[in-house]
Amino acid sequence: MDQEFTIALAQIESKRMDKKENLKKYEDIAKRAKEQGAKLVIFPELSLTGYVVRDELYEVAETIPGPSTKAIAKVARQTNTHIIFGMPELSEKTHATLHNTAVLVGPNGFIGKYRKMYLPTHSVFEEKRYFRPGYHSAVYETNLGKIGLIICYDIYFPEVVRLARLQGAQLIVCISASPAVRRVFFEVLTAARAIENTAFLAFVNLVGIEDGLQFWGGSRLVGPNGRVLAQARYNDEDMITSRVNYADITPIEAFVPTLRDLRPELYEKLKKSAEEL
Amino acid sequence: MELTLAVLNADWGEIEENIERFIRDYIERTRAAGLVIGLSGGIDSCTTAALSARAIGGDKVLGLQLPEKENQNAKDCKHANIVAKKFGFSTETVDITPSLEIFYKTIPSFNPCDNVSKGNAKARMRMTYLYYYANRLKSLVCGSSDKSETMIGYFTKWGDVAADIHPIMDLYKTQVRQLAKHLGIPEEIISKPSSPRLWRGQMAEKELGMKYEQLDLILYGLEHFMKAEELAERLRIDKDVIEKVKGRWLSSEHKRRVLLAAKLEYRTIGADFRLPRGP
Repeated sequence: MDQEFTIALAQIESKRMDKKENLKKYEDIAKRAKEQGAKLVIFPELSLTGYVVRDELYEVAETIPGPSTKAIAKVARQTNTHIIFGMPELSEKTHATLHNTAVLVGPNGFIGKYRKMYLPTHSVFEEKRYFRPGYHSAVYETNLGKIGLIICYDIYFPEVVRLARLQGAQLIVCISASPAVRRVFFEVLTAARAIENTAFLAFVNLVGIEDGLQFWGGSRLVGPNGRVLAQARYNDEDMITSRVNYADITPIEAFVPTLRDLRPELYEKLKKSAEEL
Repeated sequence: MELTLAVLNADWGEIEENIERFIRDYIERTRAAGLVIGLSGGIDSCTTAALSARAIGGDKVLGLQLPEKENQNAKDCKHANIVAKKFGFSTETVDITPSLEIFYKTIPSFNPCDNVSKGNAKARMRMTYLYYYANRLKSLVCGSSDKSETMIGYFTKWGDVAADIHPIMDLYKTQVRQLAKHLGIPEEIISKPSSPRLWRGQMAEKELGMKYEQLDLILYGLEHFMKAEELAERLRIDKDVIEKVKGRWLSSEHKRRVLLAAKLEYRTIGADFRLPRGP
């Protein structure tokens, strides 16, 4: 397993409902990232199809694995990289039940997926109208360490990242489609989730304008001490690379030992209180 | 805690960038040749035209001045021309009086004293001209309504809000004033009392019964889910004033969501066809 490697955060503007075009963009960027030494390339939430797709989601959703996953797995094999991207997933067992899903592929093919647990359905968001929530956290053991996946609004719920961390995740990947007015929340939350879990956190956000929503980009890699190690531009397409070195976790995990100090009995109380809210 | 105008402050440089990106993006997506804007010489249309010119270049923006004899105002015309010159876009003036007079003449029951019906006809006549020019120029119509007026329904249905894009519709009037200042719109335009100019002597604040500073804070509170009691306390004004504004806001939703179809079938226009806005 690589203890240290280069990660590429690729904030793209999707062409809505044009998977072919977006797959081409994934491929071009993955090749460029590879040239810059990247072993992991990350694309935003639902970037395969665009975010504001609404009823057309039924048209563009696919099973995972499926044609698009296979196409990206091929790119991963050709470039010898791991790739994470977001797409609408069609459940294999039904005809029209969808999930908002993050997919992880590697040089040897499909590795795993994560179905978004917290689906925002407020303000401009209408995800519960279309998607069924996921019920499982997702941490995958890879040649690049243990990678935990979350999606956008999940980051407001510290238990999602905490669960992934307790399952061993060293790098949390949060793919996102966050519109501009929420920037301040995400910039705080990405740092907070990294610090409280003493893990790396890679946040990759969409850019472009869909139905008046301006996605702000600002993708970033945050170290386990909360330091922003790399930050992409706001609002424009960008691809940045940075180094992840898991050795950096040890000193901060010892210095601020949040995992050592966990109090499991509080989780019982949390559960009870949440049920009674 | 008292609610003050400080809550309406923003990073105006960033707001300008976001609006200009929004305009540029939509023009690129639609492959439109440019924008046509109804240029009254008031703060909203001057600010919108200035933002449009900065976003896509003044050569792609036409400010259309559409005066009519009952409301002709030399100062407005002067202001429109100052802004056009400063931000480098062209203007054209069409006197819509003859069109209106013919329109009035064809209506047997026309009542010249009914200001509202006549005023709305003027706004819709302006809309017709704007869309004619937009079609001829392969352009889009750019609206310049602000959030204050749109929220309380202080506009003409199918009239002044009929446009393809609305760059400043998410900004209250007092915020538009700040943005205008940031852009360098002359002070005499910013401080000029607002008027829809639908009939002689019509002044917005007089009709609204309050200053925009107060209206905007009430609307801000409603936008932020504040209850009337709380808002009255925080603004130190009578609860009835809040209720009245809230009433205007709620009762005018039909003007903002314009397609109301009887629900008869599987998926219905304006109800549960939920499609991405193309392109």
